[in-house]
Amino acid sequence: MILIRNLRHTYPGTRRQSARNALRDLSLEIADGQFCILSGPNGSGKSTLFRILCGLATPSSGSVTIGGHDLATAPERIRPLMGVVFQSPAVDKNLSVQENLTLHAELHGLRGAAATARITEALSWSDLKDRLGDRVETLSGGLARQVELAKCLTTRPQILLLDEPTTGLDPASRRSFILALRRLQRDRRMTVLMTSHVFSDAEFADSVAILRDGTLLAHDTPDRLKAMVGTEMVVIRPRDPAAFAAVLETGFARTPIRYGDELRIENIPPEEAVPLIAAVLANHRDDVLSIGVKQPDLEDVFVHVTGRTAAFAAEADQTDSRARRQPELTA
Amino acid sequence: MTTPETAAAALDSDAVTLPSTDLSAQPLSPPGLLGPAFALARREFTRFIRQPHRVIGSLGQPLLFWIFLGAGFTPSFRPPGMEGMTYLEYFYPGVLMMMILFASIFSTITVIEDRDQGFLQGVLVAPVPRLAIVLGKVAGGSSIALFQSFLLLLAVPFLGLPVTAGGIGLIVMAMVLSAFGYTALGFAIAWRMKSTSGFHAIMMVFLMPLWLLSGALFPTTGVPGWLSTAMALNPVAHALTIVRAPFYADAATVLASPAYLTSLAVVAGWVALCLWWCASRVARRDKGVKG
Repeated sequence: MILIRNLRHTYPGTRRQSARNALRDLSLEIADGQFCILSGPNGSGKSTLFRILCGLATPSSGSVTIGGHDLATAPERIRPLMGVVFQSPAVDKNLSVQENLTLHAELHGLRGAAATARITEALSWSDLKDRLGDRVETLSGGLARQVELAKCLTTRPQILLLDEPTTGLDPASRRSFILALRRLQRDRRMTVLMTSHVFSDAEFADSVAILRDGTLLAHDTPDRLKAMVGTEMVVIRPRDPAAFAAVLETGFARTPIRYGDELRIENIPPEEAVPLIAAVLANHRDDVLSIGVKQPDLEDVFVHVTGRTAAFAAEADQTDSRARRQPELTA
Repeated sequence: MTTPETAAAALDSDAVTLPSTDLSAQPLSPPGLLGPAFALARREFTRFIRQPHRVIGSLGQPLLFWIFLGAGFTPSFRPPGMEGMTYLEYFYPGVLMMMILFASIFSTITVIEDRDQGFLQGVLVAPVPRLAIVLGKVAGGSSIALFQSFLLLLAVPFLGLPVTAGGIGLIVMAMVLSAFGYTALGFAIAWRMKSTSGFHAIMMVFLMPLWLLSGALFPTTGVPGWLSTAMALNPVAHALTIVRAPFYADAATVLASPAYLTSLAVVAGWVALCLWWCASRVARRDKGVKG
């Protein structure tokens, strides 16, 4: 069980930069054996929360309890229970797969036959069996990620924290990584908290938590989150979003929500979507670049909750500074 | 985009078979201090050996120093009370010390690399005593420095110095202590640094005076008063004293000398102090401020 209560974190200011609030009164509870995905735009506080959870930073206030131990006072009780997969590789590229796993086992007090047995067990699901003698720098991105996960599994963690573990992987490798992780999580009854930008990852989770500006906006199962935006929505890209929002309001009695250059009419009853599209096209064909019905996925939930379009989120990924900009909401 | 149906189906398909052993999490007994430290030290040395440029570079430089400077200075080297000694002989322990000093300190650049590449965070979240992290790095860096300087030590029989077997033992002990002290010093300085270029800059400002004022280049007798005070406070000067003394006298004589014992105590105390400093730096976590 991971219990986060009223967590606040403020980075100290410097001469050139004022103090920055990364987490504001965040509370979150992840039950034993749950697979939770933590999502949010850049600068939302995910990384700060992650650093606090793995004990690399201490918060300004609030408490974190993991496996019944308080993180502030007893980090040495929590470290043995926990496995951490970081976004940047934490294995030594100059060492072989086997050497890395042995080193990790030794850091956890495992040696000799016990270490060998655990390493074999930790590799059982992976594609690394005939690459054990190879240096990690010679492995593909997907296999290198498998080394990270296998390394953590040698200690049979009860709690697994992963920070953007699928970054840099192609879709197929990403999918097989997540699938392997999900199976291992079920079989070994681990509690998993994973941060991710990738919405297809979230479909596999028991729950998804969405963070923005250091506060929790939503935390629920993927299905219930999707129900927030209804079963269907109409997405319109007009030539002039502001003007067209007014048209929809007055002419069609619909209140669209604007995300960037897109207007969305969320939570529309299924039987009304097609007639609405027909009516819009009949009267305003020249004002509309594209229009369509969409079944919401988690990306749409993310857009709905954080008020950012996927395009905007992608752009925010490129440059951190631009992530501070807020999109306009006409709703 | 993966739909929930296919996600569930993918999970249920049994492509992966797991061993039927009990996989429930069992807390391990906490690792001790020396096991993890040894594992980390071994990793440090393995990395060094796998980068031949590092080996060649740090070996060649002091050898060149020794040959060129020694050969060039001998005709003008006539310190009082040391007639008949060539500068090469005088300079030899100094080169030995320089090799240990530079190789030890620069081995700690890997602290910055480890942080940069992410290896360090994996170690920090492991349930090892913080002192084990320090000892692992320090012992690893020291073993690299000692590996190089032991190769240089092989030149001793050709120097014609009155060194005995017991003396060699004392020299080795002094070298090990010095290496630990310098590596710990480098570790503590490198711990919070973000770039290797910054580390180089600091080290040049900091290391050169330590070495220049150690008595490695010129004898400590007959220098101005302020300089002799600075030399007396310099731990590298004391390290050089305990390295140099056994070259010229047998072990029993050396161990009976109060000056030697004082220097030995200073060096040992300095090693302990640096290790403690390192451990307290590693134990410190980034704190959020109230606001």
